[in-house]
Amino acid sequence: MRLLILGITTTLLVSCSSGKKPDDEAFLKSLENETSAGAGVDEEVINSILEQIPSPLEISVLLKESGSKYSPEMLNPSTNIPKYNSNYKKALNLGVYGTDLGYTNIFGRNSDGIKYITSIKSLADELNIGQFFDVVTIGRLAANSKNLDSLLLITTMNFNHINHYLQSQSRDNLSVLLLTGGWVEAMHVTCQTAVKNPSNLELREKVGEQKIVLEQILLLFSFYKDDANMAGLLADLESLKAAYDKVEISYTYKESTMQIVDGVAVIKDNSTTTINITPQNVEEIKNVTNSIREKITS
Amino acid sequence: MKKLVFAVFCLFSLGMSPIPDQTCDSESFATACIPKLANGFNFLKSYKVDGIAKDKVEYSYVFTKGTQYLINLCANGTATDGIVVSIFDKERNKVATSKVNGQFISAIAYPCNATGIYYIQYTFDDPSAHCGGSALGFKR
Repeated sequence: MRLLILGITTTLLVSCSSGKKPDDEAFLKSLENETSAGAGVDEEVINSILEQIPSPLEISVLLKESGSKYSPEMLNPSTNIPKYNSNYKKALNLGVYGTDLGYTNIFGRNSDGIKYITSIKSLADELNIGQFFDVVTIGRLAANSKNLDSLLLITTMNFNHINHYLQSQSRDNLSVLLLTGGWVEAMHVTCQTAVKNPSNLELREKVGEQKIVLEQILLLFSFYKDDANMAGLLADLESLKAAYDKVEISYTYKESTMQIVDGVAVIKDNSTTTINITPQNVEEIKNVTNSIREKITS
Repeated sequence: MKKLVFAVFCLFSLGMSPIPDQTCDSESFATACIPKLANGFNFLKSYKVDGIAKDKVEYSYVFTKGTQYLINLCANGTATDGIVVSIFDKERNKVATSKVNGQFISAIAYPCNATGIYYIQYTFDDPSAHCGGSALGFKR
């Protein structure tokens, strides 16, 4: 009987404990030197802006469908990982490698993808968020090109979990860096491809419309001006904004129409955007992006 | 001694009691919505729609020209449980809704023609508690 009471009481005490897992504690400890957003900044505002940033996967799909050939030399080599010693660099390059993995996946280059999976897992572990990256399942899916849909799904879900976890732990600064690294890498790949294909208007416009995303990223960085690393990157992103100031985007709203097809409301969007961007603008944006990326990946 | 065991058991049972009716496990609905995206759409985001905690839930995302987006809805019981999803452009013009002529549709396909920030807003058809989830996918 005494044993029964002891057992039940122990269970109760365990269930009443803080519930904090060892991983959580290790993660919080590892980030003691990081800074979060400045005082008075609403985390909900930051998280809502973070959620707006489009997935780099959208750009990779566009690149493949535009007929551009697979160019792994544009990507950040997975062997660069020993260079990343600070949490700042690790978070940025986790984003960079995430974009590179998406690119290799979309082009069905699974052997290259596996190298990025290993690097991503390594960086995620060092940031104590490796538990959200299911490397075994991803590796298994990557081994067969027929699993592309599942592979894309699980990698996107893993990165979403990492971002949500960082935000829930009030370490949104790392989430901002992860997304920014991913975006800069996608910008780099898009600009390089657009410059190689000057007659492809869609690619040029894709570079131009990133002005909207850059504005959101700049807004995010404005919350972290007290962090020396992030202030430095903000200054670099401001120089990219200066190049984008020459790009004009105009929006014309026109009421949309709709029909129901197989139980889905299919909308016809009658609004339009016009993006005025010249090949010279693309060249300038490419050069500035390249210098920012160099700092991130070196 | 029996009374002590009973007391401890009661305490234990209280700690393990089921979630009250007015709690919304929107995360489960959001996750359940992901595999329900139509074929050919790549998953982007899942959204929790907790109509118990709030009377309106809103997210935003940059939609890009030339890409088709699909937003679906998942809920308990009837298909959408009175949850309505609407899309607004950056100027807050309503460009799409899942409530059409009084009918609740469980998915919206939005082939975007104008790049910009869009607001994905979830509202509820009547004041009673609503709970669900939603997923966003894309294809070119």
